Amino acid sequence: MSHELWQTIWLSLRVSSIATCVALLVALPLAYMNARSRYPGKSLLEGLLVVPLVLPPTVVGYLIISGLGVRGWIGQYLHQWLAYSIMFRFEGAVLAAAVVALPLLYLPTRAAFASIESEMEDVTRLMGANRLQMFWHVSLPMARRGLTSGLMLAFSRALGEFGATVMVFGIRPNHTTLPVSIYLDYENGEMQQAAPAVVVLCVLSLTLTLLYNRSAISRQD
Amino acid sequence: MKRAMAFVLVCLIASTALADTITVAAAISLKDALSQVAEQYKTDTGQVVEFTLGASGQLASQIQNGAPVDLFISAANKQVDDLAKAGVVDNATRRVVAGNSLVLIVRAASKASPDSLKALTDAAVAKIAIGEPKSVPAGQYAQQALKHVGVADAVKDKLIFAGNVRQVLDYVERGEVTAGLVYATDAKVSGDKVRITCTVDDADHDPIVYPAVLVSASKQQAAATKFVDYILSDKGQAKLKEYGFAPPPPPPQPTTQPTR
Repeated sequence: MSHELWQTIWLSLRVSSIATCVALLVALPLAYMNARSRYPGKSLLEGLLVVPLVLPPTVVGYLIISGLGVRGWIGQYLHQWLAYSIMFRFEGAVLAAAVVALPLLYLPTRAAFASIESEMEDVTRLMGANRLQMFWHVSLPMARRGLTSGLMLAFSRALGEFGATVMVFGIRPNHTTLPVSIYLDYENGEMQQAAPAVVVLCVLSLTLTLLYNRSAISRQD
Repeated sequence: MKRAMAFVLVCLIASTALADTITVAAAISLKDALSQVAEQYKTDTGQVVEFTLGASGQLASQIQNGAPVDLFISAANKQVDDLAKAGVVDNATRRVVAGNSLVLIVRAASKASPDSLKALTDAAVAKIAIGEPKSVPAGQYAQQALKHVGVADAVKDKLIFAGNVRQVLDYVERGEVTAGLVYATDAKVSGDKVRITCTVDDADHDPIVYPAVLVSASKQQAAATKFVDYILSDKGQAKLKEYGFAPPPPPPQPTTQPTR
C-alpha cells in the first residue's frame, strides 16, 4: 500500500473514532434522560437529534458552515475573540462526522435504556445506591447491547461520511478521508485507482461486524 | 386503487418513451445559459432538449458506462479526450461551443484586494480557494496559472481545495477564504456578494473551452448536430454571452468539422 493510502486510512480512522466519542458524549446523557423522564419540548429535542438522518449531508454541511464559519451565527465570535475557525481543520471533519453519526448512536441507546424495567432501578435505589452508582452499575450494563450496536453504527456512518465533510473540511492534497479520496478518483475518471480505498473500507466494515458478532455471541450465555 | 396505480405506471412508461427528445449531458456550469438556449430552440424548431447536468468528470463516467445520452458538452477537453480514446464519443464531431475566463475574486467587503496572482503572496491573503485540480477543471486552470506566474510554491500552504466551483464561490462569499479563483460566469452569478479583483491572463493557462461531442451510441446524431449548430449560431451565442460566456476562441480546434 502506498504511503498516501496509509495517511488517508489513518486520518479516516482518527476522524471517525473521535467523532464517535463526541457523539457518545452527547447521545448517552440525552438517551438516558429521554428514556426516563418527561418534560416539555422533549419531542422537539428528539426530533432535532434524529434530523441529520433525513437531511442530505449537503444541508448538514451547509448548516455547520452557517453556524460555525467565520461569519456564522456562533463562528463569528470564535473568530473575533479566539481567532479560531473550525473550517478546513481536523475538528471540522470530526464535527461533520459526529453530527451525521449522532442519530444512529442515539436511537438504539435510547431504546435500550427504555427497555430496562424500572423495578430494577427502583431496587437499586432501595439498596442505597445513588443515581450515579445506579446508572454506572445497573442501567449502563443493562443497556450495553443497544449501546454497542449504536456505537458500531455511528462509527461506520462516520467512516463513510462524505457530503458534509467535503464542505466543512475542504479537500486538501494528500490529506483526505477515504470516502473523499474515492470521490476524487471517480470524478477524475480513474475509478480503478479508488479500488484499494474501497477494499479498505469494506475490510474495516467486515472486521467491525465480525468483532460485534463475536462479542454478542459471548454475551448470550 | 389498483387501476389508479396502473394508470400512473402507464403514464410513467409512456413519458420516458416519448420519441424525438434529445438528451444532452452538460457541465453544470452551463445550466442556466443552456436551458435558455434550449427553450429558445424549442420555440424555434419544436425540438425538445432534455438535460442531465453534473460535473464533467461525473458525466463522462456515466457516458462511458452507457448512459443514454446523445450529446456531451464538457467544461474541459480532458473528459472528451478520455471518452474519445475509449471510443465512446465521435471525436470528428467535436466542436467548441463556448469559452470562459478565470477571475480572481474576493468578498465584496474584503479589505484585501489582490489585483494580480502575484499579489496572492501578500500576508493579507490568508487562504485561497480553488477547485480540486485533478477533478475540477476550474481548479486545474487555476493551478496552471499559479504555476505559470511562478507563485504556486509560495501560496501552496494557503490553498484550500473545493469539490466544485460553486463551493469556491461559497467559501469566498462567506469569508472562509480571502480569495478564490473561479470562472467569470460564476462570479457573475454571485452578483454583488463578490468582487472581481483581476482577470487571469488567458496565456497563463490552457484555453478554457466547452467542447461538444456526439456520443457514438446515440440514435439521434442528426438532431443533436443541429442543436450544436444552434448553440453556435448568433442566437445561441447571444444567450451564452448574457451569462458571461466568451465566444469559442478564434483559432478553431484542429478537428474536422462535422458533416451534416
